[in-house]
Amino acid sequence: MSGTVTIFFETPQGLREVGAKIGASVMETAVMNNVSGIEAECGGACICATCHVYTDKVPQELLQPMSSEEDDMLDMATAERRSTSRLSCQLRVTAELENTVFIIPESQF
Amino acid sequence: MSAPIVIIGASHGGVQLAASLRQLGCEDKIILYSAEDVLPYHRPPLSKAFLSGEKDLDQILLRGPAFYEDHGIDLRLSDPVTSIDLTTRRLAARSGVQNFSRLILATGSKARELKAPGSDLQNIFTLRSLGDVLRLKQAMLDARDIVIIGGGFIGLEFASTAAKLGKNVTVIEARERLLMRALPASVGDFLRDYHAGHNVQFHFNANFAEFEGADGKLHAIRLADGTRIKADMALVGIGGEADLALLAPLGLNMIAGGIEVDEFGRTSIEDVYALGDVAASANMLVNEPMRLESVQNAVDQAKAVAAHMLGQDAPAPVVPWFWTDQYDLKVQMAGLSRPGAVQTIRGDVEGNAFSVLETMDGRLVALFSINRAADHMAARRLIAEGAPLDMNLAADASVPLMKAVAKP
Ligand SMILES: Cc1cc2nc3c(=O)[nH]c(=O)nc-3n(C[C@H](O)[C@H](O)[C@H](O)COP(=O)(O)OP(=O)(O)OC[C@H]3O[C@@H](n4cnc5c(N)ncnc54)[C@H](O)[C@@H]3O)c2cc1C
Ligand code: FES
Repeated sequence: MSGTVTIFFETPQGLREVGAKIGASVMETAVMNNVSGIEAECGGACICATCHVYTDKVPQELLQPMSSEEDDMLDMATAERRSTSRLSCQLRVTAELENTVFIIPESQF
Repeated sequence: MSAPIVIIGASHGGVQLAASLRQLGCEDKIILYSAEDVLPYHRPPLSKAFLSGEKDLDQILLRGPAFYEDHGIDLRLSDPVTSIDLTTRRLAARSGVQNFSRLILATGSKARELKAPGSDLQNIFTLRSLGDVLRLKQAMLDARDIVIIGGGFIGLEFASTAAKLGKNVTVIEARERLLMRALPASVGDFLRDYHAGHNVQFHFNANFAEFEGADGKLHAIRLADGTRIKADMALVGIGGEADLALLAPLGLNMIAGGIEVDEFGRTSIEDVYALGDVAASANMLVNEPMRLESVQNAVDQAKAVAAHMLGQDAPAPVVPWFWTDQYDLKVQMAGLSRPGAVQTIRGDVEGNAFSVLETMDGRLVALFSINRAADHMAARRLIAEGAPLDMNLAADASVPLMKAVAKP
């Protein structure tokens, strides 16, 4: 649970590069680095769906499997649900995520 | 240039207000006073993942350190406001005197204290702030026998963390069941049984009498009926009350234990707003002022205040929601429990996945779910829409709740 990797957030303003602490969640990484569009009202309790991201550009096998709870919440997120939709508070940063890109839905701005 | 907007209290409500003001285009100077010495953080994890050590402070910050500077929010940590003069529109804080154009009170609530013989012994705690957790954490880890006074949400979350650590945990509750005002009896009893399954002991209808100890150390607590329960640590979780010390002399209308506000967060005095735990207002479900102690309430009130301050349309009213995590249970609440509502169970109580619906005139007013997030999310919509339900469908857990709306 030490070390950092570089990950990217794609926002309507462009690409943001941030240092992500291994072991933290992708949501926490966005908040710590002042990336807008991830409101995270519930702080990672998986009950607000304001941390929705698209993971089109991330190899899916690098992401933790989706719980049924996350699945249920995504159905109700404000931005359109896609096959690559995830709640970023449920995704842990691992060394393998180096240089991956998470897309923040436009409607979250 | 006009005087700054001043917000007192930098937690869920105050920080959201500052963020929303900037998001909506406010260019005034904003000063955000905090009595605490750390960057504003999420409070719920204090009795959950932060208490257990799964998350550290960096992981529970409301916003990253750069946020305040980037948005021109003058966050003043360790700077409690000590007095306010509404006529001259000035206040005194530790850092000095400050004038303001508009004042927002977001001072939240504080833990109610238990004044009883022995309460000055060591190892008796309340849990409200990060500082509280840092004070009690080691005592929790070192303790063998922990007594929790008050079977509310914070007490029960603490109980689940302590029980998972293998402590002997006893919960003392003054009433006959858990969370009688907030939860239907079936959910309160379910939680009791679930805790009992993790070796948590309960004393209901219990009147607390005193803390016992020697040499400043806590040894036990005693109930009015003479029962003595061994304890080397006690957590007092008997509820929160609005933190009004600073605000009581201001002459604002008070009601229901808080500052009376309307749907825009306006108090009885012009240019003074209140929001979050400290404010009492009617909401979309209950047409009389009440205080709601929840993140959702603080955040949504802050959004409404920001819109009003900037002369913009108020956001649509939001159905109150709340959650609590205990063991592996996700307990979620939408709406507010109402006396006289009809209760219907949906799902599998034995399998720890069920919801209790509360309806009035066939319309959903509240839903309490255990490990059924889809029901919770559907309920938020159904309550807002006020759509009548087909109760046969609603009681059938194999039918998505969204599909249980009655056909006209
Ligand atoms: C342990 C715990 C667990 C919780 N769990 C949940 C949960 O799971 N879900 C949920 O929805 N809600 C939960 N809550 C409730 C939720 O945290 C509160 O409703 C919410 O924090 C209210 O936000 P607020 O901004 O109104 O006030 P608060 O969070 O109470 O913050 C008020 C702030 O104002 C500061 N302040 C007070 N007076 C002054 C002054 N004179 N000068 C400067 N600063 C001052 C205080 O120090 C404090 O930092 C929990 C609360 C606690 C304590
Ligand atoms: S932060 Fe609320 S669901 Fe992810």
